[in-house]
Amino acid sequence: MQLTFDADVEAFRAEFVDFLDKNLPRESEATQRSRSSADIPPWARHWQRVQFDAGWLLPGNPPEYGGRNATLLEQYVHQMELSRRRLSASFNPQGLGIIAASLLSFGTAAQKRDWAVPILRAEITAALGMSEPGAGSDLASLRTRAQRDGEDFVVNGQKIWTSGAHDADVILTFVRTDPDAPKHRGISVLLIPTDTPGVTRRPFGTLLSPNDLDFNEVFLDDVRVPAANLVGDLNQGWAVANGSLGHERTLLWMSFAERLEDLTDDVQPTSALERDRFATLAMDAQALRLLGSEALARAARGEADTPSLSALKLLGSESVQTATEWALEAAGADALAHPARTAPESPFHHDSYGAGWFSRYAHSFAGTIAGGTSEIQRDIIAGRVLGLPRG
Amino acid sequence: MLFEFDSDQRLLRDTARDVLAKECPPALVRDVAENGADPGPLWRTIGELGWTGLTDPAEMVELGIVLEELGRAVDPTPFLATSTQFTPLAPDAALAGRPAAAVLAGITARRDGEGWVLSGTASGVLDGDRAALLAVVTDAGVFVVPASAAAVTRTPVFDPVLHVAEVSLTEVRVSGSDRGVADPGPAREIALTGLALTMVGACQRIFDLALDHARTRRQFGVPIGSFQAVRHKAADMHVALVRARALAYFAALTIAENDPRRRLAAAMAKAAAGECQSLVFRHGFQLFGAMGFTWENDVQFALKRAKAGALMLGTAAEHRSMIAEEFHAAHL
Ligand SMILES: Cc1cc2nc3c(=O)[nH]c(=O)nc-3n(C[C@H](O)[C@H](O)[C@H](O)COP(=O)(O)OP(=O)(O)OC[C@H]3O[C@@H](n4cnc5c(N)ncnc54)[C@H](O)[C@@H]3O)c2cc1C
Repeated sequence: MQLTFDADVEAFRAEFVDFLDKNLPRESEATQRSRSSADIPPWARHWQRVQFDAGWLLPGNPPEYGGRNATLLEQYVHQMELSRRRLSASFNPQGLGIIAASLLSFGTAAQKRDWAVPILRAEITAALGMSEPGAGSDLASLRTRAQRDGEDFVVNGQKIWTSGAHDADVILTFVRTDPDAPKHRGISVLLIPTDTPGVTRRPFGTLLSPNDLDFNEVFLDDVRVPAANLVGDLNQGWAVANGSLGHERTLLWMSFAERLEDLTDDVQPTSALERDRFATLAMDAQALRLLGSEALARAARGEADTPSLSALKLLGSESVQTATEWALEAAGADALAHPARTAPESPFHHDSYGAGWFSRYAHSFAGTIAGGTSEIQRDIIAGRVLGLPRG
Repeated sequence: MLFEFDSDQRLLRDTARDVLAKECPPALVRDVAENGADPGPLWRTIGELGWTGLTDPAEMVELGIVLEELGRAVDPTPFLATSTQFTPLAPDAALAGRPAAAVLAGITARRDGEGWVLSGTASGVLDGDRAALLAVVTDAGVFVVPASAAAVTRTPVFDPVLHVAEVSLTEVRVSGSDRGVADPGPAREIALTGLALTMVGACQRIFDLALDHARTRRQFGVPIGSFQAVRHKAADMHVALVRARALAYFAALTIAENDPRRRLAAAMAKAAAGECQSLVFRHGFQLFGAMGFTWENDVQFALKRAKAGALMLGTAAEHRSMIAEEFHAAHL
């Protein structure tokens, strides 16, 4: 265990800080906001490419994938510096954190070149097509069908909740390729470019506004996808899903840690009760960082332990929900105003916190629902971490 | 920050766990509770293992590892008071192999010529009745006195293995050289962290037993651990435990490295351990059904140790009340 970093890690941090000081766009250049989780404004595309080219986008990656083979501790301080300054590495977080990451784990050399690198360099953006109207928590029951036809797959079905799909260039799509196999063994994964004939995307609003467009329905009608777009082996999609969910849960706990830390800045307790609640927030933030650093260390050693990430996801998402509800309550009737600023403007973060405390609280439910609900996380912990028998 | 045990620390934990499984089995704890058996042999084993030598604050993580395992075993010896309450207050007076305790409040010191006169009564002194030496905290500093100078009475408490005593000093004359000027603040952080880790260990024991029960007890034709209401309680207990353990070792690490956040971290450790035991006690007890309500079931000892720990040295709510202020001072 260590609390402080060795000189070489501090030198790495200093180098990154120096890079930020020299290269981060001016705030006056960064005024254009993104309209969805797969929309990257031009200035942010440029900024992401600068990070990629300098090996600072994902420092743990090799240079050809936007990194510099950084050690675990170096990646950790990199992430801390970003979060301390409220900087997002990408405005297409699922593209960077889930889709490109899955392609680097499971993709062919050509897929890495043609899809992962362009996503990492912000030349294109990506969406994640897992959920369907009939397949939410029970993802493995998905029914979107892909049938082989010559050199292509022909895809028919529907996805839903596909964040940012209307702005994305490609959707990492989970499809059924063997309807006769047990449900986990008949799933495959396809990269489906959104300009392929037969792909229809219909964005729809969130509870916050009909114009808050990130959710999509994606209809797939006789969509022809080259077999070269198959990610991982045929009918081995569940392994890719688990890898993707692992990446997703890593991305998620980090974002919860950031949110909790942001909340410790944005919340000023004024009564004994609020101070008591603030203490819980501060403890949750600290515990999540500590547990997260442990999880990163395991991942760096190559121990893929997706079930153990469930505890981080559950703790982080539930803590954010509790803390934002308390913040909303502390603001009292003032919190009725919407939109309203609850934090300083942070133009380099995809989450601007400009919509008020109700919005921050409402958004916390994305944390407890998406990426596996809290109930599903509890079940994973009980079964796969604690070894309790299945029901 | 790298928050993982290194290989030496893992080895220490595994060794401690193995040794305590043999030297401090549930049967010993029960024998102490029921028959007043002497935990002396275990105390000597602890000394032979070198654990009583973990007196340098730089070794706080290692001491913490030992304390967590002792908490899990519901240690019947005076190790906690000796290592986390007495020694940090009076590091130079610690006597190898001799149990010692700390009197944290209730005693006043009056100047008398070259020396001092100590008077007063302190209740709730952990292991005060079986210590050889007492570190007495007063406004004038910390004095080390032989326990023979005090009148001590063991107080009956709900944890049958825990020793808590009332300690009275009546005009006890001590020389100026017995006075340490130790600031009791840092010592208190060690005491809080040590108690928090003891509680984490006790909670882990409750949890282990409850999980075993959930896997083996069958109702409606299936193990009760297959019911989601049970599974979700187990998952919440797991999260509370990993959270409390992380914060407790963080506190240990800040002490070991004398980091400025140590005061805040110790408060967080004790608060999180208190919150953890609240949940683990409730769910753990509940999952046993009536079986948990019996004297026969060993879970009682860990339940009581965890709950007693929560009540000593400030409850979770008391620690939370200072965290908000400390937080901004410490720039965590
Ligand atoms: C903001 C947001 C963004 C999203 N983005 C994407 C995306 O980009 N791509 C994508 O594919 N999906 C996305 N999702 C969908 C997300 O993955 C699903 O919402 C999630 O898997 C839950 O499925 P569901 O909404 O159908 O709920 P359901 O599965 O219908 O669950 C409803 C309720 O029942 C409970 N429940 C269900 N099964 C069980 C069980 N076995 N035991 C106990 N309780 C149970 C759940 O916990 C929940 O409380 C997003 C969701 C949100 C909220």
